[in-house]
Amino acid sequence: MKTTVVSTSIFAAQVAIAAAAAVAWEFVSRRGIVNPELLPPLSDVLATLWQLLHDPRFLADLRVTAVEVLVSFLIVAPTSIVLGFFLAETPAVARLVNPVFHALMAIPKSIFLPIFILALGIGFTQKIVFGAVLAFFVIVVYAEAAVASVPSGFVTLGRAIGASRGQIYARIYLPAMLPLIIAGLRIGFIFVVTGVLLAEMYSAPVGVGRAIVHWGEYYEIRKLLAAVLLIVFACIVINQLLEAWERSSGTGRFNFGAIA
Amino acid sequence: MSARGIVAGTADAIVVRSVSKSFGAAAGGLKVLDDISLNVANGRFVTLVGPSGCGKSTLLQIIAGLVPASEGEILIEGEPLAGPRPSATGIVFQDALLLPWKTAAQNVEFPLALRGGDATRRRARALDMLALVGLAEVAESYPHQLSGGMRQRVAIARGLVEDPKILLMDEPFAALDEQTRTKMGGELLQIWERSSKTILFITHGLTEAIFLADTVLVMQARPGRIVERIDVELPRPRSYDMIGSEYFGRVRNQIWHLLAEQVP
Repeated sequence: MKTTVVSTSIFAAQVAIAAAAAVAWEFVSRRGIVNPELLPPLSDVLATLWQLLHDPRFLADLRVTAVEVLVSFLIVAPTSIVLGFFLAETPAVARLVNPVFHALMAIPKSIFLPIFILALGIGFTQKIVFGAVLAFFVIVVYAEAAVASVPSGFVTLGRAIGASRGQIYARIYLPAMLPLIIAGLRIGFIFVVTGVLLAEMYSAPVGVGRAIVHWGEYYEIRKLLAAVLLIVFACIVINQLLEAWERSSGTGRFNFGAIA
Repeated sequence: MSARGIVAGTADAIVVRSVSKSFGAAAGGLKVLDDISLNVANGRFVTLVGPSGCGKSTLLQIIAGLVPASEGEILIEGEPLAGPRPSATGIVFQDALLLPWKTAAQNVEFPLALRGGDATRRRARALDMLALVGLAEVAESYPHQLSGGMRQRVAIARGLVEDPKILLMDEPFAALDEQTRTKMGGELLQIWERSSKTILFITHGLTEAIFLADTVLVMQARPGRIVERIDVELPRPRSYDMIGSEYFGRVRNQIWHLLAEQVP
């Protein structure tokens, strides 16, 4: 009960902070405290966003970007989770592969973008491949950590209470791993969005990334900010949905310190 | 008083006959248990005390059917053991091993849930077991909301939920602070008296071993073997004051010497 009250009031405070930031944006721009040409009032930006959402050209950009992100994520998520599980279960292979993985994680993958373009062109395929490559390593590492996070005692317990092998996987291993899997997917999703937008901004015939660069070059600051806001909102909403998934599976109450 | 020459009777819940266990290659491997024989009569509370690394946990895992013995035979309620038999033996580990995404009641119900059946009846059974360990009011709490002692009581309720005749306990209170450990011992005795189970309880605490037991089995290490069997002649129900009695001190001293002989 107490936790609910606290989290409700924390949520209220968070909303208040966001509202205060919005009001401050509107205020500094209307009063000319910052250059309104660089930071137009929030209300103007939102009005522009409303228009954009009725503009067929922008909607086409939006659709292309959304499909690229979705396809990229749907390819990379299962692939990297399965690979992460495989590496966690075969330490001999993991010993060989992990140093390479960690090295690849450390480098900024955006420097390879021109190579991807040379190899795959500037179309749909290149966008989804680049997004997937960006997200791949982080999801693999999280999936590996998820397997390692399951206390070995849980398996002994499962056997002692007569769980079959399938039950141990489905009812002990999987729920125990879920929090780290979802965490990996959440971060992986951000990487996919980053990769797709980056590739679009660098070179693309269509897409929100291309539109943002275009409006930047032509100083259409209202449209630029409207598109940025839209992406910000979309990513926040998806992140919240993934968090809600985690909570609904009951794993939000997860605390490995409480096993003993 | 000898651990050898035990004859299995029909009233024995647990019979261990000449069990040995080696890890690694059979000949050159590490022998952790050497020719262990013991029996636990129905409804008795037997503790197995020994230093760390004497193989007592391995022995319990063998009796639970989790680990195969290299040699020898186990009889549970007169039947040879081939693997875990959760309907006959409940087990409680040193870590409570509660699944953190399940409530206390769901954790207790879990072994029943694995086998399906009527959900209402399963749930009622789980709540009965929580009431037995005095935790009816936290049925809907999650493990991280419970204290260490409460979590271990939930684990005991889970161990009892399938109504096994035997409860195996592997240092269940070792991770608790001393006060809680002593209190939990008293509560375990009450649960035992109410549920009339056979309990085999492993510990490295001498006081705990004597306070709880009808019979204390003393183990030495390298290789693990039972060197003494001591019947505790203290009346039931036990009270904490008995720990200070002269008799208690004498038994404690006897066990201490048996274990101290080993220290190099």
